[in-house]
Amino acid sequence: MILLIALMATLLGAAKDDGYGPFKPTPLKLAIPKGWPKPTGNIFAKNKLTEEGFQLGRKLFYDGNLSKDGVTSCGSCHQQFAAFSTYDHDLSHGVENTFTSRNAPALFNLAWMTSYHWDGGINHIEVQPLSPITAHNEMGETLENILAKLNTDSSYSRFFKAAFGDKAITTQRILKALAQFTGSLISSNSRYDQWKNGTLKFTPVEESGYALYKANCSSCHKEPLFTDNSFRNNGLPINRFGDAGRQRITGLSSDSLKFKVPSLRNVQYSVPYMHDGRFNDLDKVITHYISGINRQQPTLDSLLQKPIVFTERQKLELIYFLYTLTDTSFTKNKRFAPAQQITYKH
Amino acid sequence: MSKKILLQAVAFVVICMLHSSLFAQNGNLVLKFVHIANGKIVHHNGMFTTPNGEPYTISKLKYYVSNVELGKSFQHTHLVNAFGADSIEMKVPPGNYRQLSFLLGVDSLLNCSGAQDGALDPLNDMFWTWNSGYVMFKLEGISDSSHADLNRIEQHIGGYKGENKTMRRISFDLNEKLTIGPKETHTIVIEVDLDKFWDKGSIAKNPVIVIPGVLAKQAADNFPFMFRVKTIL
Repeated sequence: MILLIALMATLLGAAKDDGYGPFKPTPLKLAIPKGWPKPTGNIFAKNKLTEEGFQLGRKLFYDGNLSKDGVTSCGSCHQQFAAFSTYDHDLSHGVENTFTSRNAPALFNLAWMTSYHWDGGINHIEVQPLSPITAHNEMGETLENILAKLNTDSSYSRFFKAAFGDKAITTQRILKALAQFTGSLISSNSRYDQWKNGTLKFTPVEESGYALYKANCSSCHKEPLFTDNSFRNNGLPINRFGDAGRQRITGLSSDSLKFKVPSLRNVQYSVPYMHDGRFNDLDKVITHYISGINRQQPTLDSLLQKPIVFTERQKLELIYFLYTLTDTSFTKNKRFAPAQQITYKH
Repeated sequence: MSKKILLQAVAFVVICMLHSSLFAQNGNLVLKFVHIANGKIVHHNGMFTTPNGEPYTISKLKYYVSNVELGKSFQHTHLVNAFGADSIEMKVPPGNYRQLSFLLGVDSLLNCSGAQDGALDPLNDMFWTWNSGYVMFKLEGISDSSHADLNRIEQHIGGYKGENKTMRRISFDLNEKLTIGPKETHTIVIEVDLDKFWDKGSIAKNPVIVIPGVLAKQAADNFPFMFRVKTIL
């Protein structure tokens, strides 16, 4: 009896033909770099990573139709050549000449995070895009309008069919596809990584810089991710927006002025620095840690209680080490670039 | 082409025959939510008063009802809209039932499991984009007692973590025992009294609650007192 039903089902399946061929997605595995810890969670637990899902996510990531002005895409602020941050912008441009309230984070190694945004307000990679998509000072769009626009774009039909089995465009599919793209962005092949693997040598300056990093920065900016993804107050004076960081999410005064420790990978390209982009070069960052920390703040991280002392030469050595964290195999990887030529708004 | 249709027809008949012979006949349960304030049915044009005398109108009233328990547990989330779909229908095994309960809100796991669809689709405007999590109960309107922008009232009660979680299990003893037979449809009419929502609350003090925290938790503490079984049909 069961066999009969199974036979009927396959015959029925073969009978239905929407012109896009059979549904046979190519499964992918998230490649964990050698020696790295496994992510604590699994961002793809309910979102099977496939080549087709990745390609749909990539197409959506670079599609200006996700915003009110039809031109601003995720890729407008998350620029691959800047490790998916906004190059040289403290705050990014939203639609209609608005500004974001924080610096656009670089996007890579997201699978190792358990929350997203400077304040950790996003608890799952799939729901992150809802925030910039609907924010008036970012993409300024509604989900209803996006569905309407994408439904008039016939180029999406074969992508949705290939990734999800039929042409239907839903918010869930859009969000899962975007997560398959962004979750796949892995940066693990910088000069530092190759030095650690023994395939190249550091200069003496870079080696000195590494030693300084180990002694002064590595507790928070831990190898190999160069962050521990925790929330800490590094003594930055509160900014003109009164941005209290993580406290806005948890409501706890003990979280006042705490922000997510960003990765130091690709810092050469993710300038300017901090949650509001207040420092436009690495020298200013290091100077902050030496002499700029506001020691009156009750939530100042205990690891920063002890002053950091550097000579001018040591600052340079540290900066040269930080440059070794640049991963051009990531920033130039065509797989993460737009699939076709697009024009950026600026 | 006709071969395809014949195949489909045969398959359909076979599956129907199998279905009726292999599976027990469920009954249908309808939970119909009737919303009142000041003893009157809530509607868009109505003018209502909170227990401490503040006048208000209601433009939006929707909330999540999930994880219904009637004998067994039904892991499904529904969105009730006082000005739209205000009843929930479900298939239940035949039996005699003395107790009904449901969760007002969305359970913790679904709040952090990524993009959902159906009632939980962010299209329903019940999901916070900046602080991931569902709005369990949403009430909007206008009141002269509100000093907020445009005299608005926005009570977006949400938060799923720790001591400020805003989900509440609402339980009922069914005083008239509910007996559901195979293929029978029964309706439980549940009255939702908005006067109880404002208990210990005040439009003047807190016309707008749109973040998780102690104010949202205090509002949620009123949820169990808002619901009662009015009739069992």
